[in-house]
Amino acid sequence: MVDVAVIGAGQTKYGNHQLGLKGMWAEAAENAFSSVDKNFDPRQIDEAFIGSVAFGGAQLGNTAALMTEHSGMDGIPVRRVENACASSGFALRDAWMAIKSGQADIVVAGGIEKMNDLSAERKRFWLGVSGDTEWERLAGLTFPGTYALMARRHFHEHASSHDDLVHISVKNHLHGFDNEHAHLRKEVSFEKANSGFMVADPLTLYDCCPTSDGASCVILAADHVVRKFTDDPVWIRSSGAASDRLALHDRPSITQLVATQKASQSAYSAAGLTAKDMDLAEVHDCFTIAELMATEDLGFSEHGKGGGFAREGQGIRNEGSVCINPSGGLKSKGHPLGATGTGQAVEVFKQLRGTVEDSRQVRDAELGLTHNVGGSGATCAVHIFGRERNV
Amino acid sequence: MSDDQHWKGYLVVEAKDSLFIQSSYVHEDKIVYGPDSDSTTMAIAAIQFMHSKGHRIKSIHLPDSIDATTVYLATGVDSSLHNDDLQFDEIKWDILVGEEATLVVAKTDAEEYDFEAPTDVEIIDADFHHDMGEAWCSEQALTHVSQGAYVSHSQYLEGARARLSLSSQSVEGGLIWPPRQLDSEGGRLPSETEVLIAEAEVESWTRLSAAGAPSEFSLRAPILGGLQTLLVRFNQGPRGVFLVTDDVDYSPSIGDTVHFAVRKIYAQEGIIRYGLKALPKR
Repeated sequence: MVDVAVIGAGQTKYGNHQLGLKGMWAEAAENAFSSVDKNFDPRQIDEAFIGSVAFGGAQLGNTAALMTEHSGMDGIPVRRVENACASSGFALRDAWMAIKSGQADIVVAGGIEKMNDLSAERKRFWLGVSGDTEWERLAGLTFPGTYALMARRHFHEHASSHDDLVHISVKNHLHGFDNEHAHLRKEVSFEKANSGFMVADPLTLYDCCPTSDGASCVILAADHVVRKFTDDPVWIRSSGAASDRLALHDRPSITQLVATQKASQSAYSAAGLTAKDMDLAEVHDCFTIAELMATEDLGFSEHGKGGGFAREGQGIRNEGSVCINPSGGLKSKGHPLGATGTGQAVEVFKQLRGTVEDSRQVRDAELGLTHNVGGSGATCAVHIFGRERNV
Repeated sequence: MSDDQHWKGYLVVEAKDSLFIQSSYVHEDKIVYGPDSDSTTMAIAAIQFMHSKGHRIKSIHLPDSIDATTVYLATGVDSSLHNDDLQFDEIKWDILVGEEATLVVAKTDAEEYDFEAPTDVEIIDADFHHDMGEAWCSEQALTHVSQGAYVSHSQYLEGARARLSLSSQSVEGGLIWPPRQLDSEGGRLPSETEVLIAEAEVESWTRLSAAGAPSEFSLRAPILGGLQTLLVRFNQGPRGVFLVTDDVDYSPSIGDTVHFAVRKIYAQEGIIRYGLKALPKR
């Protein structure tokens, strides 16, 4: 079976962009192209998968064709991938599968979202659209509310508390502070993060990721062409994905995400690795409780012990057992829905190649993981990356 | 002899083969509907009360102001407004709506009603009453259409019976609610035949700030100070998420028991969508 490597990756800064869709995508693609060490020409790309929810930016249909048209990829097969906030995590999986199948040698996976060009009232239309709208949204739930239900139940069932979530918020702001691509580059004290405006009880503003614009782009290549482009590839050791019921009330438990558990078990198994082998993980912390649960579901801590993991600083860069969200995560780096999954891959690519800012570098990073969740856990894609190919 | 009681957030006075029901709110000496109630929600509560007392109401005369489809979906009681084939003389019960927020359910051949008015009423805050009334008026405008996660009337109706009556699907191993389509073997799940007991335990809850409310609630959430939602488990197993009724001051706790009443959820394109909301058990 063909092995797949990342040969280039780039993104825009996340935040409130002046650029529109075309400009943002062009910037991300340009950064990805220029990160390839040698001989790269976008006309060599065979296929592209671009994740987007099409929140704003005026292009609801055929988004992907518009993006490739403006980035030197005219004429190739391309499609938009939509799986809510996991859109580009699945675009990455699709791109990986396209090469694995032997149908393509060089494939682009990317994502884009323009979110801050809508008025406050139009933004409201989009709240909770990726949950079970007929039942959850009509019960007043948007994602802050959905994750608030999970948090309160987690506090009830396990020895966790809001203080644990505050520790996660503080850590991710610390990690994102030196990230030139991060939306919110500010360190936050425990006291500050513990005194935020209540968004959905018990979650405050400091438990929620920002609404970001941004684009990200990753270039994958088959093993037999990799050396034409780089001597320093990052290999995709495995890809795992799963789904779960859309609505919280249809799941047996709301304190764990079964899709994350299945996707990560699939990825670990395929790579012959475990959570203990990971040096870093970009996890989907749309809300701090989501990171707490992810540390459990991905196997970094036992089920119910994610609060202690956060409290003990286990996820802090170069201090804990594994660096969780070295980029700052969705909380600090930002969350342009469709761009988030491949944006996580950009961070892991750079960390494993040692090309992030010195202050952010995870020491001796050999293996990293990305975890991208759609909605409140209905879809999940997990990828494991390594400096070495699968044995 | 009459005796007023609380029932699904309303006040009821029961007499032989008849019932008087009214809102528990007063404004300027008039009985007025609560913030998410109307004659339809009160008619449903009245019929459910009569059913709970053993009256076998199968069909009823309804005034035009009552949403007959919603009454039918919530209670199974038909009316000529909902069913053209229903013969006028087949119907043995009437609902009569008063000028204020009151109504009477009685047999069609009843000659007179004699009810002692309930006294356990509450004066509603005048500004709150006014603002909520204005918000509902705006929301019911034909031009008021939510975008994004637009739930069409057709999509709403697909689940309306389960939403209004808690009708569930009976399968080996338990009950399914809300209804599902195919099972894990690809077979069609049975239609809804079992009605869940309308009582459940709170498993989690949240209060969403007004700024974060979905667009369906954007006019009323600021007046209410946010939206309160419960995740509950019914005694028969299924779980669901429900808004708390707008007319209770309730601070939930995990483990609380709640019951349910039909209330207005939201309106758009001139159509009110009704559904069950949670009330703390008194």
